[in-house]
Amino acid sequence: MTLTEIPSDAELVERFPYASIDHDNKALYRGWLEKSLRMNRCDDCQRFHHPPKPVCPSCWCSSLVPSEVSGRGTIHLAMFLHQGPPAPGVDYAKAPHPVVTVELEEQEGLRFTSTVAGCAPEEVRIGALVELDWVDRLGAPFPVFRLVEKS
Amino acid sequence: MARNPIADQVAIVGIGSTGFSRDSGGRSAKALACEASIRAIRDAGLGPGDIDGLVGAAEPGGPQPQEMSAALGLPQVSHFSSPTPVAVFALVDAMNAIYSGSCDTVLLYFAYTRLPWNSRSAAQDPFRRRHTLGVMPAPESVNAAAAYAAWASRYIHEYDVPREAFGRVALNARAGAANNPLAAMKAPLSMEGYLGARMIREPLCLLDMDVPVDGADAFVLTRTDRARAMTKSPIVIHAATVGLVGTNDEDQLPSLARHGQHVVVESLRAKSDLWLEDMDVFFPYDGFSIITLGWFENFGWCGPGGAGRFLEEHWDEASGRVMIDGRIPVNPHGGSLSEGATRGSGHIREAVMQLRGDADARQVPGARNALIGCGGFFFNSQGAILRRL
Repeated sequence: MTLTEIPSDAELVERFPYASIDHDNKALYRGWLEKSLRMNRCDDCQRFHHPPKPVCPSCWCSSLVPSEVSGRGTIHLAMFLHQGPPAPGVDYAKAPHPVVTVELEEQEGLRFTSTVAGCAPEEVRIGALVELDWVDRLGAPFPVFRLVEKS
Repeated sequence: MARNPIADQVAIVGIGSTGFSRDSGGRSAKALACEASIRAIRDAGLGPGDIDGLVGAAEPGGPQPQEMSAALGLPQVSHFSSPTPVAVFALVDAMNAIYSGSCDTVLLYFAYTRLPWNSRSAAQDPFRRRHTLGVMPAPESVNAAAAYAAWASRYIHEYDVPREAFGRVALNARAGAANNPLAAMKAPLSMEGYLGARMIREPLCLLDMDVPVDGADAFVLTRTDRARAMTKSPIVIHAATVGLVGTNDEDQLPSLARHGQHVVVESLRAKSDLWLEDMDVFFPYDGFSIITLGWFENFGWCGPGGAGRFLEEHWDEASGRVMIDGRIPVNPHGGSLSEGATRGSGHIREAVMQLRGDADARQVPGARNALIGCGGFFFNSQGAILRRL
């Protein structure tokens, strides 16, 4: 468990200036630094939940283990920002920026929201299969999705 | 019928509004709140000494109840609170405070001021610029407002809904605003105009989103027995409720088939003697057009995915708006899309005006009952039924 204390809370906040980090979700962002997408999993009932909560909403157990998920899943929601908050590498004038909510293969209803990198906006469709990848944002890893080629 | 001892026990006896605009010309939210409040108290035929409760929605940039008490010189209040937006949270709190005896007469106010993150012109104002969000979030989020565009994509995917379905919500609002002196957006709007509007968060465009405005609404509420001494036919809250499901995080919501609106509809229906067939005017919230389509379906005017077709079938070509069964108008004041982003207070005020018979060119003849579905899908779903006794 000592691993989760590196870096310090103060450093963690510095690495992710765009995130609202607190004691409930800090393990998620520490995972990002290791390019690992972790979601709280209940040590008792084994259910995942997201975003991180202080207790398991399914059984009220407070023994929660930040557990790596595959990041593979299906696009459930898909919108395209024609304007929005500034971010490195995001140029709204050039093309609308896709923001997708992906239903992960680990559990029905367990979802994670990010963008889809490396494709044209019109290729981003609800129902498409995606996998996780990491890009750099302001010097720290940032999780994104990529379309899985259909064979 | 569910237990609803508060039915018809609290009345709305005063209303006041500043009207809404894209720029109030250097007036503060507190100044707007004071103007609307004084109008509402005078409209009720009361004075500052009659107000012993103060409820003000905690709108960003809006005044706190204690500031309003100081500004208006209220001698003493025994209940005050600042419920989170949108409007029916505050309405329910005021209603409960009166019925429980915490106070007798509440001034309920809502003050809106454009803020730097939703208005470019507000961002130029050195005073308003100081209101900041704290952390500038990443674009890859479906928190709060963006969630409606994200779930609109799902709605379109599941039900193959054309953009015209959303467009009719916008057109209906604009047609209403044309007859409302308080409204911010009165220029005529055509379907071509809607379809050509700038995309913001595709699939939602500029005209699917409410208009940031400056302005304020205020209401005076009191016990119905006191209201009867003031007017022959008081406007009362027949039922009011809020609704929430467990998994309400925007991107984790299980589906469009089960969220806060469904809880509201079940609760309201169980508490009310009146239902759709009894209504004379319908107020589905329209902070985003997708919310309005949701209210049509979830109240049961039509089935899931059927709101677009319903609006088309009940469209009145002559007036360019929806008339349910040729009889029931929808947001006749123009709603949040065209009157301005009142977060529901405009819907409540227009309901009261209609039930009083004071809605002038917009008046529904003999209106007695109004149905309000306020808020969206996640953590601010609410509803109310107002009636004239």
